[in-house]
Amino acid sequence: MRLLERAARRALTVLDATATRLYGWTWNPVHQTGTVAAAMLLVLLATGLYLVLYYRVGSPAASVAAIAADPWVGSWMRTLHRYASDLFVVAALLHAFRMFAQSRSWGPRSLAWVSGLFLFGLGVICAWTGFVMAWDSFGERLGREGARLLDVLPVFSEPLSRIFAGDRPVPSAFFFVNLFVHIAVPLAMGVALWLHVSRVARPVLLPPKPLLWSIIGALTAASVILPAPLGAPANAFTLAPTTPTDVFVAWWLPLSERFAPGGVWVVALIAMVIGVMVPRVARKPREGALAPSVVDPRLCTGCNQCPQDCPWDAITMVKREDDRPALVARVDPERCVSCGICAGSCAPMGVGPPGRTGRDQLATVRSALEIAGVDGLPIVAICCEQAPAGQVAELRLRGAYVHPVSCVGNLHSSVIELFVRNGAPGVIVFGCPPRDCVSREGPKWLYERVFNDREAELQPRVDRRRVRIATLAPGDGGASIAALGAFVHDLAAMERPDRESDAALDMVCDSVSGEEAES
Amino acid sequence: MTPPLRPLRWAVAAMASAAGLVLMAWASAAPLRYQPAGVARLRLSWTARPERIEVCRSASDEELERAEEHMRQRVVCDGRFATYALRVEADGRLLSESIVRGAGLRNDRPVYLLRDFDVTSGVHRVRVSFTRRERTDTVATNAAPSGRTGADTGLFAGRAEREADERRRRARGAIPARLVLDTTLTFAPGRVLVVTFDGDRRALEVLDGRAPSR
Repeated sequence: MRLLERAARRALTVLDATATRLYGWTWNPVHQTGTVAAAMLLVLLATGLYLVLYYRVGSPAASVAAIAADPWVGSWMRTLHRYASDLFVVAALLHAFRMFAQSRSWGPRSLAWVSGLFLFGLGVICAWTGFVMAWDSFGERLGREGARLLDVLPVFSEPLSRIFAGDRPVPSAFFFVNLFVHIAVPLAMGVALWLHVSRVARPVLLPPKPLLWSIIGALTAASVILPAPLGAPANAFTLAPTTPTDVFVAWWLPLSERFAPGGVWVVALIAMVIGVMVPRVARKPREGALAPSVVDPRLCTGCNQCPQDCPWDAITMVKREDDRPALVARVDPERCVSCGICAGSCAPMGVGPPGRTGRDQLATVRSALEIAGVDGLPIVAICCEQAPAGQVAELRLRGAYVHPVSCVGNLHSSVIELFVRNGAPGVIVFGCPPRDCVSREGPKWLYERVFNDREAELQPRVDRRRVRIATLAPGDGGASIAALGAFVHDLAAMERPDRESDAALDMVCDSVSGEEAES
Repeated sequence: MTPPLRPLRWAVAAMASAAGLVLMAWASAAPLRYQPAGVARLRLSWTARPERIEVCRSASDEELERAEEHMRQRVVCDGRFATYALRVEADGRLLSESIVRGAGLRNDRPVYLLRDFDVTSGVHRVRVSFTRRERTDTVATNAAPSGRTGADTGLFAGRAEREADERRRRARGAIPARLVLDTTLTFAPGRVLVVTFDGDRRALEVLDGRAPSR
């Protein structure tokens, strides 16, 4: 599984880099696969509401043909409905691949993974019934295959396949039930979507507006220019040599038709079991870098900041067990993904994953500075560990002192201050693209803490001109080097800061002994 | 934080997006092969009730006396549903030979038959036979004894007669003991001819789709 995950990670990096080169990281749709899929559900809902007004269960093929023949609205609306379903499938598959490659499919994310699988499966069923509604040659093909597969289940007294035999008209009841399923399944998808995001705080359901409207605009333009063809009306007495097949939804159809229905069910069941088992197989020991955050109750002031910043709703404030009046933070290890954002949010440095709390970060920096020597400290580039190694090496080659952190959201602002106080002319923090942060909100909270005085803020005594935040995205190495160059240029106009004693920091950050805490 | 896209990059991105959309439009309606070209198909499709093969006798007065009043059935029948041998030939060549039973665990549901046979287009002599496998010359099938209905009294007066009527009605609605279609059919390429059971005529017939099914 680790090998598979690593291979997937490499493939994803290539894909990410290619998309970033094309669109830039702000417009990179590969970073937005989940939200694009959700946006497509909204497009499907809107266009579906229009289409259902003109659909007739008594004459399905004729009514869809009439919709398709309407050049003003019906044609592109129907095509947009189809293209949106195609993009939903592509985006959902890429999203699942992304989560797997980034090892975000297990532990507290298991529910999201499993509900996502069901969401995808429901989407395919919905698309299946949608194509049957049109009742053209492709719809008939899907209908026949669906009936063939269902007939092996001990559900229907009369085999469904006989509906399409031709010895009697296909009953309107069939199209009514099909329409009912087509409309009911999205309701189930709504529940699945709610489950899918139920474990995250502030779920982001839509891409940024410019990207959202660009995608919808491009799909609409494609719908007008390239309307989806409608196959010949279904006819039980003709054998269509080909059907206009939607390969996004029905890529499996030519395979499935070759095998016995029982075999198809077995394969589908095995695929489902493998999918559901991924969180179990991909899980890693919750220790070391993946250990959940812990709270030091002696340091916790009950400020309520870490529950607000936690992207996973893993922290709650509870009554203290000692006699201090404030509340104390409590981390639910079942929900904590060890992103470390709480460590960056805690001014007194009382919470965070073991080894990554603010105090641990300061200790690490001090050791690193001792080893590296602090005289003539160059510009410090704090980089997310997820950043491409090649691009980080480029920064090093250009003279920056690189300090890695597990996530820039994990970074405590005091670390920046410590570097500046030790004579670094400036500190540039390279985070991942905001929508590509494995900790979800790392770059956002970092920016707020450094420039907008969000709790655990960078102290006012630190000259903000000496601090910069930039993005380091695969495929956009030039931009990170340019950002570093611009920062060097700006700093050149400033005097190099004197190295100060970090006594003040020590005063704030020295660990509290047990006796002190008790007193 | 947002790096602007230069015009050239915009153009490349736009072209890549357009290519992606064209690819998506094509894949959204890719002409995938479905049925082999040039062949025709013979389809057998019908639903009908299998015949009930029963041995009936009149219950004696003592037996009726022992039963609860609402259970007093003058004519008692035991039996099972018939099974059928399906044989399909084209130009004297055997296409299929199978045994067909009623649906359900007890085979007491109707026979649901659906079989497809690919044939080359052209003229073929087709013979379909659907024959009951059970012989009934040794059993008194549906032999509802006449008379003695006078024993049915009270709420259940005339019950034996009604049951006999019901058995006769069921027998009329059941598949005949032997159905044979032996005819010459012209199969056009890419067309399906459907052989079905006409319940009114109690015979097999061929549909060619001239009357559109929908």
